[in-house]
Amino acid sequence: MSRKSSPKSAVLVRIDQAARPALKPASYAMVLSGVLWPVQAGGAALSIQAWAEGHPEGLLWAALLFVAVGGLRALLDYWAGGLLFRMADMRISEERHAMLAREAARAEQAITSASLAALASQKLSLLMPYLTRYQPAMMRVKIVPLVLLGLTFYISWVAGLVLLVAGPLVPVFMALIGVAAKQASERQMVEIGALNDLLIDRLSALADIRLLDATRQAEEDFEIRAEGLRHRTMAVLRVAFLSSTVLELFSAIGVAMVAVYVGFSLLGEIDFGTWGRSLTLYQGVFILLLAPEYFQPLRDLAAAWHDRAAALAVAGEMDALERVEGEAVPGLGGKAEPLKGQATISAQGAVVLRGEQQVLLPELDLKQGEAVALCGPSGAGKTSALLALAGLLPLVGGDISVAGVPLEGGVADAWRARLTFIPQAVHMPDTSLRRFLDPDESGGDIHAALMAAHADGIVAALPDGLETRLGETGAGVSGGEARRLLVARAILRGADVVLADEPTADLDPDTSARLIESLRSLARHGAVVLVASHDPQVIAAMDRRVDMPSSVSLEARQ
Amino acid sequence: MRLLWQAFRLIWSAAPLAMWRGALMFVVVLLMGAALLGLSGWFITATGLAGIAGIGIAFDVFRPSAGVRLLALGRAGARYGERLLTHDATLRALSALRVSLMRRLSRLPLPEMQRLRGPLALTRITADVDALDGIVLRLGLPIAAAFLTHGIVFAVLYWLTTLEMAVTITAGYLVGGALIMLRLIGATFGPSRNAERANQTLRQDTIGMMRGRTDIIVQGRLQTHLANLRRTDDLMRRDLAQLDRVDREAGLVLALLVSVIAGGALALGGYLVAHEMLDPARAAIGFFVALALGETVMPLRRGIAEIGRIRDAAERILLHDEQGMQTPRVGGRTHGGGLRASNLSFRRLGASVSLINDLSIRVDAGETVALVGASGSGKSTLLAILAGTEPGYTGDIVILGQDLRAFGERELRSVLTMVPQRSALIGGSVLDNLALAKPDLTRAEADTVLEAVQLTKVIAAMGGLDANLGEGGAGLSGGETRRLVLARALLRGAKVLLLDEPTEGLDTATAEQVLAGIRMWLPDAAILMASHRSVEIENADRIFSIC
Repeated sequence: MSRKSSPKSAVLVRIDQAARPALKPASYAMVLSGVLWPVQAGGAALSIQAWAEGHPEGLLWAALLFVAVGGLRALLDYWAGGLLFRMADMRISEERHAMLAREAARAEQAITSASLAALASQKLSLLMPYLTRYQPAMMRVKIVPLVLLGLTFYISWVAGLVLLVAGPLVPVFMALIGVAAKQASERQMVEIGALNDLLIDRLSALADIRLLDATRQAEEDFEIRAEGLRHRTMAVLRVAFLSSTVLELFSAIGVAMVAVYVGFSLLGEIDFGTWGRSLTLYQGVFILLLAPEYFQPLRDLAAAWHDRAAALAVAGEMDALERVEGEAVPGLGGKAEPLKGQATISAQGAVVLRGEQQVLLPELDLKQGEAVALCGPSGAGKTSALLALAGLLPLVGGDISVAGVPLEGGVADAWRARLTFIPQAVHMPDTSLRRFLDPDESGGDIHAALMAAHADGIVAALPDGLETRLGETGAGVSGGEARRLLVARAILRGADVVLADEPTADLDPDTSARLIESLRSLARHGAVVLVASHDPQVIAAMDRRVDMPSSVSLEARQ
Repeated sequence: MRLLWQAFRLIWSAAPLAMWRGALMFVVVLLMGAALLGLSGWFITATGLAGIAGIGIAFDVFRPSAGVRLLALGRAGARYGERLLTHDATLRALSALRVSLMRRLSRLPLPEMQRLRGPLALTRITADVDALDGIVLRLGLPIAAAFLTHGIVFAVLYWLTTLEMAVTITAGYLVGGALIMLRLIGATFGPSRNAERANQTLRQDTIGMMRGRTDIIVQGRLQTHLANLRRTDDLMRRDLAQLDRVDREAGLVLALLVSVIAGGALALGGYLVAHEMLDPARAAIGFFVALALGETVMPLRRGIAEIGRIRDAAERILLHDEQGMQTPRVGGRTHGGGLRASNLSFRRLGASVSLINDLSIRVDAGETVALVGASGSGKSTLLAILAGTEPGYTGDIVILGQDLRAFGERELRSVLTMVPQRSALIGGSVLDNLALAKPDLTRAEADTVLEAVQLTKVIAAMGGLDANLGEGGAGLSGGETRRLVLARALLRGAKVLLLDEPTEGLDTATAEQVLAGIRMWLPDAAILMASHRSVEIENADRIFSIC
């Protein structure tokens, strides 16, 4: 089947292997449940034979056997289902956490936050039906039909032949349909993703869209896309339904042919195919009852085929994500005792990798209590330099020493414990301002810190003061205000290393002046402050400036 | 239950004809399945009897065997048709529901709309809408079809076998099935609500962690965040495990039910044959039909497992549904220019203090008024009220000589444009963004409006009007975004322009040029701008202090 021709996803191979210990017993239990059907069928056939022969009384035990074995089969399926669920649940959870830990620690984010969230919280769950339905169905299909076929052959080779011919045609059709289904389902997944992106984008701008009277246009746009999605979904479903219809057709025709053959044999109009004996009513009813169950595992497999297609698509995405190369952020990103020693930073010939590009850091020797401007045109790598000094980018060459020790994975957490990093675009988490300023609930004097950072006015203007929730886009806090709040947090935490990236970008002069003053006061209190900026106002206010080396010097070094 | 019923009607009514046809086909499928097995069983038993009695030649074999083949083919065809019809109708309904939800969300008051957080609002809506597909496909349809099928089968069995046989099978399935449904449905409500909530939290926290990654790592809180995610995941998994148990229990008892009823039919058949109340071939019909009717209850298993999720989704979606649309307006009587508000008061829903108290303001055509006041004094709220996005005010507002309440949405937007503080761009080209304001925009027009807001050079450096902006307009700086938003608003050619801190993020010189550009573009418009920067205040004709 197509399984062999397409290279299997590394993720799926790993998951399959890990699932094996539970998959085996569960599948055996389900196989056992499948091969117990002939016992039930035998009980029913005996009863009907007895009715026809005119001694129907003493066969209550056959009806009871039918019920009891039916119960046993239901219990086996119940037990196996539980085993499969627990195994799949465990595997998915492990994959989820491995993925989150890996992606969160990447030096350079490999996937958008929303896509990762969708993958981890929603799409991963699509592996569940693959593990609990498709895999056992695959195992079952290899054994149960063969057993039932053998029993049928034992009684009548003609009936057996009917099943034998109808049966293998099923996988042939399914392989053909399966290929089409996979393509269609991949197209549909892509379409869903694109539609979701579009909707996110439009919903975010909903207020503007309304004020510009573009609501109708946006709706029409969206309606067309939604219709497109429906068409694609129906294309997937049509193929899926077609495959199950083909199966149902084969199974129905198989059953019908067996029934007709048995009927004619019993009448004596056909007298071949039963190994020279004549067919009894018992045997006739028995093989008629086996026929639908012969097809059942194949139908189960077909129903689970879509699960496999969905799992392959998800595994493909996971494979792609895993294959993205890139270093992890040095250290664990966990809590650590602040690194001992003076707040100093030095760098000699340090080089970091940003995407494909190598960035050479300037030679640095920053002392405690110093406020220094890091200058250079846009794109010179100022942000990368700050990230490297914060231990957020791994070095590919040269050295950075902090507080007198080399900045490596082992000390990165401890170094960051005494550091504040003020990015250009501050992300405001969805917590209260109090939690944002003091995430560890240290109980420090928040008000004093806000005053020192000239940020007390910001809090006073918020509807609920410190208890205001900040939310995704920083409800009620502008970019400049957010940066001042970060300065306040630096003061509150007693951080004595401050790295700020273009802190005055997009600010009006008054706000700029206040922010610069906050940074200066941190230096006065003994912190080392490094500010990346091309704002003359900032550069003038610092003790000295350091320039980013030109890219020529990197080439010269090599 | 009421919620489920409402949701069912909502989905069903999108394409009722297709649904009815699908439902009919569903019944046909079930009936043909029962008939196929029943006829086969009867045929074999009857031929067996005939064979034993030696009257094989007299037996009419052709009609039954043709019937068997016809049923086999018909059933597969009906199944295919039923699935296509019902799925297509359901998808149609879901597609319509998505669009109507978006429409409803776009009627929300402005502040509420701005609080809509893109990815999260989206997840909610898409997940909820998707969850609703089960209400018809896996609950309503199978249940309705099962009832109908059992009704018909009862009549046929009564005719072909005996009352006892018909009652045993029909009552067994209906009573047993109903008991199982009632017993298990309630068990899914709690866990499915909790699992859904945990899943949302998981997604939200993952986004939060990734967006705030740098800060979180610097704070040494990455491991804490990961541990929190694991805890949420564990909560979700606990509920999912419970749902799985309910699902498997449903499977277990439904399978037992089928065994018991088929076994019962077998025992009853033996009894009836022994007492010569039924001939063996007809007794076989009872057993085979009982076995085949298992198909009417087994599909309910998936519906049962999903019912809690469906109910929660229906609750949220129908909630949105009740926030109805505004009533139609009279409108069409604007004349003159400017805006005037008198004795205006506004109080937020549930707030004890009025945000705006007995305020009167007037802005004439061609006039620029700077609206000043401390943060939180209600500048943005006043603009939102004047823009017609906060209907709960008292007092009078007159725009171009017509009462604001008389304006229809489109009529108002054609004369009044507001640029809120936090304006968003959309993904797409610069031209796409501008065309949002004016669908028939020409490139020349686009170039001139960019000139008016001092963006010509910036956009040219990016590659011109067709330069692509990322999601939410990513790729422009804060000041550039602001200017593009202003350019977009200018294209509306408004007679009343409301600006909320229009030059935020611009340096003084650029701000001055942009303000001049706005006035040049709209010489006769009444412009009211909430301001806190001196450059904006200095460029106004008049200052209105709100405090």
